[in-house]
Amino acid sequence: METSDMSMKTASKRRGLRYYFNIYFRIIAQDIKSKLSYRSDFIISLIGMILTDAVEILSFWLVFQNFPSVKGWNFYEMLFLYGFTLVASTPAQCMFDNNWNLRLVVYSGDFIKYCFRPVNLFFYFMSEIFDIKGVGKLFVGLSCIVYSWNKLALPVNFKSLVLLIFGFVFASLIVIAILNLASSACFFIMNSFFVLSLSNTLRGYARYPITIFSGALKFVFTFIAPIAFMAYYPSMAVLRPDNVPVLTWFTPVFGIVFFYISYKVWMKGALSYNGTGN
Amino acid sequence: MEPIIQVNNVTKEFKVLNRSEGLKGSIKDLFSHDYKIVRAVDNVSMDIGQGEIVGYLGPNGAGKSTTIKMMTGVLKPTSGSIICNGVVPYDKRTLNAQNIGVVFGQRSQLWWALPAIESFNILKDIYLVEDKDYKDMLELYSTLVDMDSIMHKPVRQMSLGQRTLCDILASFLHNPPVVFLDEPTIGLDVAMKAKIRELVKMLNKEKNTTVILTTHDMGDVDALCERIVIIDKGKKIYDNDIEHLTGLFGAYRTLSVSLSKNKEILTKEELEQMETSVSNLLREQWPDVDMPVSIEDNEIQILVNEAFTGVVKVINAVQDKYKVYDMHITEISTESVIRKIYDGSKIVK
Ligand SMILES: Nc1ncnc2c1ncn2[C@@H]1O[C@H](COP(=O)(O)OP(=O)(O)O)[C@@H](O)[C@H]1O
Ligand SMILES: [Mg+2]
Repeated sequence: METSDMSMKTASKRRGLRYYFNIYFRIIAQDIKSKLSYRSDFIISLIGMILTDAVEILSFWLVFQNFPSVKGWNFYEMLFLYGFTLVASTPAQCMFDNNWNLRLVVYSGDFIKYCFRPVNLFFYFMSEIFDIKGVGKLFVGLSCIVYSWNKLALPVNFKSLVLLIFGFVFASLIVIAILNLASSACFFIMNSFFVLSLSNTLRGYARYPITIFSGALKFVFTFIAPIAFMAYYPSMAVLRPDNVPVLTWFTPVFGIVFFYISYKVWMKGALSYNGTGN
Repeated sequence: MEPIIQVNNVTKEFKVLNRSEGLKGSIKDLFSHDYKIVRAVDNVSMDIGQGEIVGYLGPNGAGKSTTIKMMTGVLKPTSGSIICNGVVPYDKRTLNAQNIGVVFGQRSQLWWALPAIESFNILKDIYLVEDKDYKDMLELYSTLVDMDSIMHKPVRQMSLGQRTLCDILASFLHNPPVVFLDEPTIGLDVAMKAKIRELVKMLNKEKNTTVILTTHDMGDVDALCERIVIIDKGKKIYDNDIEHLTGLFGAYRTLSVSLSKNKEILTKEELEQMETSVSNLLREQWPDVDMPVSIEDNEIQILVNEAFTGVVKVINAVQDKYKVYDMHITEISTESVIRKIYDGSKIVK
C-alpha cells in the first residue's frame, strides 16, 4: 500500500521549466548572498578581473601604435571583436564556472554527491556556483563595443542591434560548449588540466579575425574548435554589413549543435564515471 | 509483504585501466585496452522490507559502497537486477532519487557556504515537499536534536559530527521510504556516535523509514540493527538476525592463559613454541574438535566451543602439562564474531 502511494505521489511531481527556474534562482540567490558577505574579497577579485581585461586592451592599443592596421583590420574593429568575446564569455563565466572545479571533485570522489538529487545532473552541478564577477567582463566588453561602434561610425539601427544580440546569444553557447567539453575531459583521462588550459589559450585566439590565420587553422577554428563563431562571424554582420560571410548566418546552428554535443559528452562522462574508488 | 528493495544476483565488475604516466600517457589511455577486471560485488541477493534497519557489514574493500551506489542508481550492475520502490534505480536515477535519502560519510551534500537551514529550504523546493510536511518534519527534528546550535552556522564552519548530523537530517527531510547511510559514524567521537545512533533510531521509528547502514563500527550494529548482512570480497557470507549470529557463537569462550611468570619478557620464538605445543596437546586430547590457538598480548589464547568441550576441562588439560600463572575467560563479542566470519572461519556454514 505504502509503496504504491509513494510512486503515485512521485508521478504527480512534474519537474518542468518553471521548477528548474525556481530552483536555480533559489540556489544562486543564496550563493550570491553568502559571497557578498565577504565583501572585500569580492571587490578585490572584481577589480583584479577588470584590470586583467584593461591590460589586454592596453597591449592591443600599443601594438596598433606601430601598425595602423593588421590585414585590413584597424584598431577599433579589433577592439570590437575583443569586446564581443568578453560579452560572449559572460554567461560561461557567471553560470558555468563550476566547470573549473569539476576535475577536483571528480578526482577526489566527491562528485558522487551531485548524483543523489531528483534533478538533472548537469544542471545541478552548474547551479552550485554563480560567479557575479563575470558581470565585470560584461561591463568591459560592452564599453569596448560602444566605444568602437562610435569611432567606426557604424549605423545604429534596429537591424544591427538585433543581429548583435543574437550574435551574443549563440556565441556564448559556443564559449560554454568549449568549456563543458574541456572540463569533461576529467571523466575520461587523468591529469586533464592541460585540456582546460589549452581551451583557454584557444579562446584567446577568438579575438582575432579568422582571416589572419593560415588555411589549416582556419578550418580548425571554424569546424573543429569553432572559436571563429565566438566573435568573428557574428560580428561581421555588424562590422561589414555589405560583405557578410555565409558562415555568419550559421552561427545559431553552430552554437546550438556544439552546446548540445558538449552537454551530451559531459553527461555521458558523468554517468559512466564510476565514483573513483575510495 | 512485498519487499521495498529487491537485489537479485547482482554482480559489479570494474575495468581498471593500467594507467600510463604523463601527458602523452593520458592521451594513450583513451585508446588503451590494457585492463584488469575487479569484481567488487559478486552475485549478491537480498530482499529488504519496509521499516527494517539493515546493517551492511564487511571489511574495507568488501564492496559495500559499490552495492549502495547500485541501489542508489549511480552505478549499473554488470549483471543481475535491483528494484527499489518499484523503480530500477540505475535506469531511472532521478526518479529513484525522489524516493531515497543518501549520506556518504564525510562527504557533505549540503551547500558548503550556507547555513544548514538555508540548505534545508532549498532541498524543500528540490524535493517538492509540502509546506505542512516540511514544518512538521522540522518540528520533529527539534524534538530530537538541538537544532538552534547547528542550523544557523555555515556548513564549512561545522565540526565533522555536526555536519554528519545535518546530512542525516537532510536525508530524511523529504520523508523518503528508504535512507542509505554509508559509514555515517566514521571518524566521530563516542558522544557524537551515540547521538547519531539515537537520531537514526528515532527517525526510523517515527517514520518507519527503511535504513541501510554500512559501517565498521560494531557499536552501530549493536545499537541499531536487528538484521545484518555481511559481505566479504564481494560475496554475501551472512544474512540473518543479529541474535542468530551471536547464537551461533554463543557457546564460544576465549580462554587466555599465561605460561610464564613474567609474560612480558617472552620472546616471539618462545611464544610460538608454546602455541604449537598447546595446540598439539589439545589435538591429542580432542582429535575431533577444532580449537583454534593463537598468541594475543603475550598469552596463549584458545577459542573453546562449550557445546563440545567444557572450558574447565581444557584448563585442566593445560594445567596437567604446564604451569599456568594467570588465566581469564571472556565471552566472544559481536566484534570478534564478525571478525571470525571475515577471517573465513568454517563455523558459519
Ligand atoms: N570506480 C572504481 N573503479 C575500480 N575499482 C573500484 C571502483 N570502486 C570500487 N572499486 C573496487 O571495488 C572494491 C570494493 O570497493 P567498495 O565498494 O568501495 O568497498 P567498501 O565500501 O566495502 O570498502 C575495492 O576493491 C575497490 O578497490
Ligand atoms: Mg565504502
